[in-house]
This record gives sequence, structure tokens and C-alpha cells, in this order.
Amino acid sequence: MSFDDELVAEFVVEANEHLADVENQFLTIEEAGSDVDVDLVNEVFRAIHSIKGAAGFLGLTKVNDLAHSMENILNKMRNLELSPNSAMIDVMLRSADKLQGLINDIQNSNDVDVSSFVKELEGITEEKQDSSPPAEAVAEESASEPAEEEPVDEEPVAEEAQAEVAAEEVATQPTSEEPQPEETAKPQAPASSNSANDKKKPATNTSVAPEASIRVPVGVLDKLMNLAGELVLGRNQLMQAIASNSGSGLDAIASRLDQVTSEVQESIMQTRMQQIGTVFAKFPRIVRDLSGKLGKQCNLNIEGKEVEVDKTIIEAIGDPLTHLIRNSVDHGVENPPDRIKAGKPVEGTMNLRASYQAGKVHIEIEDDGAGINPQKLKEKAVSKGIITADKAEQMSDREAVRLIFHPGFSMAAKVTDVSGRGVGMDVVRTNIAKLGGTVDVESTVGSGTNIVITLPLTLAIIPSLIVQCKNDRFAIPQVNIAELVRVRGEELTTRLGRVKDAEVLRLRGNLLPLVRLEETLGMHTSKSEVSEESTSSEAGEGNLSSEPADEAINIIVLETGQQRFGVIVDGLHESEEIVVKPLGRHLQKCPCLSGATILGDGHVALILDVAGVAVYEDISCNEELSGEELEGARTEQKEDSQYMLLFSNHPQEHFAVSMDVISRIERIRSDQVDSVGGHELLQYRNSTMPLLRLENCIIAKMAEQAERLYVVVFEVSGNEIGLVAPTLEDIRDVTMSIDAVTFREKGVLGSMVLEEQTTRYIDLFELAELTHPEWFEKHDVVHESEGQPPLILLAEDSNFFRKQVSEMIRERGYLVVDCEDGLVAWETLDSGEYEFDLVVTDIEMPNMDGFELSQRIKQSSQWGNLPVIALTSLAGSADIQHGIEVGIDDYQIKMDRDKLLNSIQNFAGKVAGNNRPALQTS
Amino acid sequence: MTATLEAGHEVETSEQQFATFYVGNILLGVDIRQVQEINRQLSVTEVPHSPDYVRGVINLRGEVTTVVDLRTILGLPHEDMGREGRNLIVNSQGESIGLLVDRISDILTLRSDQISPPPSNVDGVQGRFLSGVHTLDSEILVILNIEEALGDRTREE
Repeated sequence: MSFDDELVAEFVVEANEHLADVENQFLTIEEAGSDVDVDLVNEVFRAIHSIKGAAGFLGLTKVNDLAHSMENILNKMRNLELSPNSAMIDVMLRSADKLQGLINDIQNSNDVDVSSFVKELEGITEEKQDSSPPAEAVAEESASEPAEEEPVDEEPVAEEAQAEVAAEEVATQPTSEEPQPEETAKPQAPASSNSANDKKKPATNTSVAPEASIRVPVGVLDKLMNLAGELVLGRNQLMQAIASNSGSGLDAIASRLDQVTSEVQESIMQTRMQQIGTVFAKFPRIVRDLSGKLGKQCNLNIEGKEVEVDKTIIEAIGDPLTHLIRNSVDHGVENPPDRIKAGKPVEGTMNLRASYQAGKVHIEIEDDGAGINPQKLKEKAVSKGIITADKAEQMSDREAVRLIFHPGFSMAAKVTDVSGRGVGMDVVRTNIAKLGGTVDVESTVGSGTNIVITLPLTLAIIPSLIVQCKNDRFAIPQVNIAELVRVRGEELTTRLGRVKDAEVLRLRGNLLPLVRLEETLGMHTSKSEVSEESTSSEAGEGNLSSEPADEAINIIVLETGQQRFGVIVDGLHESEEIVVKPLGRHLQKCPCLSGATILGDGHVALILDVAGVAVYEDISCNEELSGEELEGARTEQKEDSQYMLLFSNHPQEHFAVSMDVISRIERIRSDQVDSVGGHELLQYRNSTMPLLRLENCIIAKMAEQAERLYVVVFEVSGNEIGLVAPTLEDIRDVTMSIDAVTFREKGVLGSMVLEEQTTRYIDLFELAELTHPEWFEKHDVVHESEGQPPLILLAEDSNFFRKQVSEMIRERGYLVVDCEDGLVAWETLDSGEYEFDLVVTDIEMPNMDGFELSQRIKQSSQWGNLPVIALTSLAGSADIQHGIEVGIDDYQIKMDRDKLLNSIQNFAGKVAGNNRPALQTS
Repeated sequence: MTATLEAGHEVETSEQQFATFYVGNILLGVDIRQVQEINRQLSVTEVPHSPDYVRGVINLRGEVTTVVDLRTILGLPHEDMGREGRNLIVNSQGESIGLLVDRISDILTLRSDQISPPPSNVDGVQGRFLSGVHTLDSEILVILNIEEALGDRTREE
């Protein structure tokens, strides 16, 4: 290497920046045609000119030559001596590519032959002067593609011509350019004649070339600098506090450090954010070239270039997106004749959109092409044995379209060189899944296809759940976790089963494929194993019958966007925000891992690649069995049931709490609980949270002292409060057959018998009201204001809930008419006997369900303005969507009385008549 | 300028320092410029599905560092680390990699003429992992070619 490496590296970075925009600028120039935008051409000219200048200075002769020829043409264009056309731009684009190629491999650039490009470019200018037909240029193009030795007829002529051009060049620029190659050739000669040992080194060195760099706004850097100052300050304070041994100010220092660290983290993440436009920039060219090649016409609209995502994602998303774009041009957009036949404009339109949605990035690729025919896909999938004919029957069109993501499925009817080169959509999907994203497709036959990619904003820090498997801990990204399931020892035989050699879990009427993490990872029990496990699991791994009956297992239900499966782990730890660290080069091929992280205690935890595990365990083929079976189990779900957290306070006393009202469950050490003025408080994330104990609120036995406790956290009027639940037993769907009399007291709604144990059903809000009545004062009693209290129509089929809700509403001073199903409610309303201000309805009801009731109300001319609140258990989004369609005004969770009452107040107001026809009130 | 540079290069190759250590009863040496540090971090986190010669990973001041078992690479029988076992961290292609060794020995300064080309096989160790040998009073120092030893092993298998 004869030149200063540092300078060259700088040149490469700079040249790349210049070239980054050039491509699209050429395309714009092409579009404008003879109507030349001089400013734009000037811009390109300057970019190429700078490259030329620097290359000349550094002795990069070939770069210089090529840039010079391009510059010549641009010069003519900006002087309006040359009117750009497609063929010209084509040559320019290819030359720009070549230039880019030279720059990317700068060390060897001087050995590359660019004369054919130079000649073509010269050809353009000469052509213009000779005003000869462009045929020559085209011939030239095709000749330059195949290997140089190929004996094409014109070749000798071409070679002569090349020599001529070279000669001409010498003639035209006698001073600056030509002599340089000789100069640089000299120092290079010894380099290449070095010993064999040395030869190896440059090979590795070239790849080092310029280290990837990134532009950061100065403001962000300044902020980081400030924060670094803060950090140093914090450290000094910490050192002082420790040196003085007082330990007094430690809390303040810790919280300060905590804050500064979070800010540092945030700012550093900001430096890594880049506009997605850098990826999008290459697509207009790809679409142009490809549609030209295929004889199609395509127009690509790009939106949301400014959306920022992490550098790692920018780097990784390029290939999958390119594939999808090429696919759209190749298979999506039809040939012009077909388009005309279909009554569409000849030019196909593709939209590439990026936007933020709910903390994630959405990228859409939409075309107005032929769409995907689900029927054909099904046929093909059946013929390839991917799905059974039965399954195909049952598949909805939407599901069928998703078959394109199935491994072993090539969408193209025929394999073209554009797509169908073995890189299928399944690879796209796996690659996107590796980034923690998902991809979905929607298509309407005849009108187009829309592919939606969802990606996280960053990969560097991901919230994860830490799990235990044998002696090691692993991190599982939260994005992949659907839920956690704990199966108790006595339930193992009923809930776990085997289908076709695969272990499955019965989960709410579906069968979920199961994977044992220790087997997947091939973990071996080592000598230092805990004693109880060494006896049990070694006897027969994976053999269910040998599982000790009393040992509960933890299952993590994982989702990859396509597959859903459960993983059995040995234990669960806390949830952490982990910093992703790459694995070394020897570990790149581990199929189930996506990286590593360092935990708070300094140990390394490996990060599971959930999609990788699914592929490794071949989960996809198990997918079908979940749908086929247990239709019966599904119907029984229709009965009124609730998700309940079951726990015991004392071995003989069992309690249940509705999951819907729980914000989360924390595991704490008992020494984290402070007792202040008779109230127990939990030190928690820099603030305190009041704690409740059952025995202090209701008739219950004292809980036993334990080192660790669970706290069920819920929210009352914006305040967080925790209920101590010493032993958690289960979370599951419980049919609501409640005895609301025997154990009824304030805080206990009633009791039910679960597995021969009497379980009391706790109302968290009443408990909170018992201990913190002040939270409930502010919105007490409506009817004190003037006028009649609002009248509410309540439809709910479960006696228990009807009574609960109706009592709750009445307590607030409203008037309530309750009905046991939708039909009765409708008749009551329709009879005109009452004038209601609000309808509160359950969704699942016999005779007429909540959707239909709402629809009828909203469609009637008389009651169209009557607000409807729907009560649900944790609402699925599909339900909510349906609800919005039929006009439901609000969704509330049955047992979240606080929010429900707020909502009622919002809609019904304090006085009757607000919602009755406007004429009456005004 | 080129001349002086080359002269400097000459000096460097003529005298080299080697960190030496034992794996089993073989005395090995590596160019000291490749050695980053020597520590006692021997408890590693195992990596599932990793190649057999990878023992696992450690936390080396915030970097997740691969630790390889030189015994496996050199084709020696597996044995647990003794009390004198150390983790020799070397820098290979810009990446830190830990080598498990049984015992650290001295640092030797050798002139290039004191190093003879490797025989095809030393104590059962394949020649391609060796870049030379040096004969000491009582034993042979085998100079390890780290890049070769840590190279892509799937190729040959």
C-alpha cells in the first residue's frame, strides 16, 4: 500500500456519502428528460468532481479515470449540450456502480480495468457529436457484459477502439491523468512480489478498510458529554460516601446515578438511530432496472424516509426488503397488456411506507398488481404436501395467502432469474424474525398485495425474561413471550399429552406444541446438580410418567409471528432490560442463540433465538394439530368464566382474584416491607406502595412468615396498591358458579368450590376501600345534585355478576334496571316504559348477545344516541374491533369497578336526561 | 523511507518475545504481542450447540468472550483444570478469545535463528498449528500459530 491509509479511509467514507445520493439523482434526471434541471445536474457534477479530485490526489488512477469520464458527460448535460436519455442514464448508472465497486475495494482499485466504461462514456459524448444512432452503445453494452476473451465478431474492433480511446485520452489530457498509473505501479510491484506469508495478510487487511462510521448530531454529543460529567460526579460522590463510611447519602447518589445512567442509555441509543431512507434510497433504482428488464412499467412511491430506527436494523433490513420489492415487481405488477385488459393504468404503482406505530416501526410494501390467488396457493400447498386437503378446505383466504411464508414454497409459477433463486419468502420471514419483527401479507385478487413488516426500534437493548435451565440462565426476549403457564404436579397427566411423538400442552382447548429447553439445548446435568433433581430427571428424560408427581413445571408460551409453542424451563427469574452482546466468531452457527448478555451479577446469559428454536425443533409441522382437535373443549368455553389468580394465605385457606384487575405480580423479599404507622409499605422503584394483608381486612388466618412473598399489584383511582399473596397456586379460567351468600363480607364477593377446596373470591376494590377509604370519597354518590339520577339499563346473564354490577352502580346513586339477557334488555328498552340514559351490557349472553343488542340500539332511530358500555373479560382486539363496528362506545372490564364507574359517569353524566333526545334538554 | 521501515521490520522479526505455558506436558509459546491478559476466570457459561473445542463464554469486563479448550484443538484427551490453570486471553482478528491452559511458564526472548521450522508432528500435535520449535535445555518449546489453531475448523472435517 503506497498511500496513507488514514487518508484513503477518509476518502472512502466521503466518496460513499457523495455516491449515496447520486443514483436517485440520476433517476430524477432521467425522468426530467430533455427538460434538464441544471441545479440537480450540477449537484451530481460536484459530487463526482470531488471524488475525481481526491482520487487524483491519492493516486487512485482508475477511480480518477472513471470519475473524469462521468464528469465530462455531466458537464455537457449542465451546459445543455447533451440531453439526457434512458440509454445515457443507464451507462451513467452502471458507471456509478462501478465507481462504487472500485471505492469499496479501494486497495485493489488500481488493478481493475475500467476502460470499457470509460469508452462507453466517451461514446456518449462522441455519439452526440457524430449524431450517430445509439445502436453502437447498445452493442457495446452487451459486449461488455460477458467475459472479455469471448470471441465476439466485433471484439477485435472494440479492442482497437479501446486502444484508440486510450490514445485519445492521452491526447486530450496529456498532463494530469496518464502518467500516474506508472507512478503508482512502482510501489505496488514490490508489494505483490512479497513472500507467500505476507500475501495472506493483505487479504485480511482489505476487509478492515474503513471502519463503519456514523453521523451524530452535535446536540446529542453535547448531551452525552454533559451526562458523562454527571456520571463522573456521581462516581466521586459515591467514592466519598464509601470512604467516609457514613453510607448516609447513598440512596440519593444511587437514584441520581440511576437517572443519569438511563439518560446516557437513551442518548446513546439516539446516536445509533438512522433514517430508514438510507435503505429506501436504493429501491427506485432496483424497481427501474427490474421493471425495464421485465418489460413492465412501475412507479415506486416512498413515504416515511425520515423514520428512524437503530443502525443494526437498518443494516439487516436491506436484504429482506430488496427481496420483497423485487417480488412485487416480478410477481405483483402485471405485464402492460394484462393491466390494460384488467382496466388498470399501464404503469403499476408500488408504495413503500414506513411509519411508527405503538413503539414499533411498520414498513408496508403495497402494489396494485394481480394479487395472490389463495385457491392456487392452497392447491400448490396440497400438491407439495405442505398441508392436507382437509386443512386447505378449512383455511380462510387470509391464512392461505400466508402460505407464501411457508418453507419450501416458491411463489413464482415459473422460476425466473429475478426471484425464485432459492431465497424464498420463508427466508425473508426468518430474517425479519431474527430482528424481533414480524411480517404479514394481505392480498386481494385483482387489486393488489400488501406486505406489512413490523420491527422493533432497536435491538441493542431488549426487555427480556430470564429463565433457568439446569445450571444456566437464558434470556428470552419479551416480544416473543405470549404468556407464562404453570402446570401443577397433579395436573401434569391431564394437561400434558403426546400427539404423534410430540409433547403438547392443553391450553384453553387448544393443543400447544411443547419443547423442553434442556433437551433442545442438549444441556447435561452436571455434577453439582441439586439433589432432588438428580434423582428424578435422570431416570428418564422426556418420559412423562417418571416425572415426580408433585413437581410443578413452568411453561413459557412463545410466539414467532408464525408459530406458537411452549417451552418448559426449570425456573423463572426476573424480567430485565438486557444489553445485547454479540457472540464470538466460533459461535456464529449456534442455531438457537441470537447473542449473549451480562446479567446484574456479572454472569453471562445467552439469549434464545425463538425463531431459531422453532426451526431447530421443527415446530412448524406441529401447527396443524392445534386446530384439528378439541372442538368440543372450545364450546364449553362459552360458559361464563373468568381468569382467576388462585392463591392461599394460609395452607387451609384459598382465595381467588380476577386477573382482569391485576396490573402485575411482583415477587419481593419480606425485608423490603416497611411498617409505618400501622400501614405496611413496599419500597418499590424509588417510591412506596401500600400493602394489604388479607388477615387485616377480612376474616382470615394469619399468613405464615416467609422470606419471599408475592404481591398482587392493582390500581385504585390512580394509586397502586399491593395485596400480599404468600403462595401463588395457579392462574386459570374458572367457571363462575359463585355462592354469594355464605362467605359474603366486605372484600369477599362470595365463594366457589375448586378442586374440592372452598375458594373465596376477593374483591380487590372493596379491600382497598376498607383500608384506604379516602381514595373512594371523591366520586361518591351522584344523586346529591339536582334532578333525577340517571337511569341505567344493565344486561348481564350471570346472576352473580348482574348482582355485583347492579349493586355497585346503585351504590353510586344511579338507578338501574337489570335484565338477564340481551333480548329481555331490548324488549325492556323497546317497551318505552323507561327512559334510559345509558346501557351497560355483557357480551356473551344467551338469546341475544351484547353485539346484537348494541347494533339494534345504534341502528334504531329512537335510541341511536344512547351510549353503550360493554363489559368483558380482558378484551381481545378482535372483539373490540367488532364492538366498534356495531357502535359500542366503550369497553370496560367487569371487575375493574373504578374504571367502570368512571366510564358510567362520563357517559351518563350526573343527572338524568343528558343523553335523551336533544330537544328535551335544550 | 521505505528502507528504514524495512530495517525496523527486520529488527522486530529477528527478536521476538513469547509467552510460554503448558497444556498437558507440552510447552507451548505464543507471540507475546498477541497476548492480551492472563486471568483466572475459569468458570465459563456453556454454550449449547457450540463446536466441541469451545468451552463456553465469560464476561471479560463487559465483553462476552469465547473460551476455547486448547486440549481439544490439539487433540489431547480431556482433563479438568488444575489449580494452576489459567485463562490466556489472546487477540485474534480483532476479537478477544480465551485459551484454557494448564500452567503459565516464563516469557522467553528468542532470535529468529533460534527457532527452527516445525516438524510435521510434535507429541501428537498436528504440524499446521505450529509455526516453529525451539529447543531448550530439557524440553522443546512449541510455538503455536494462533490464527491456524483458532481458524475455521469445519473446513478440514
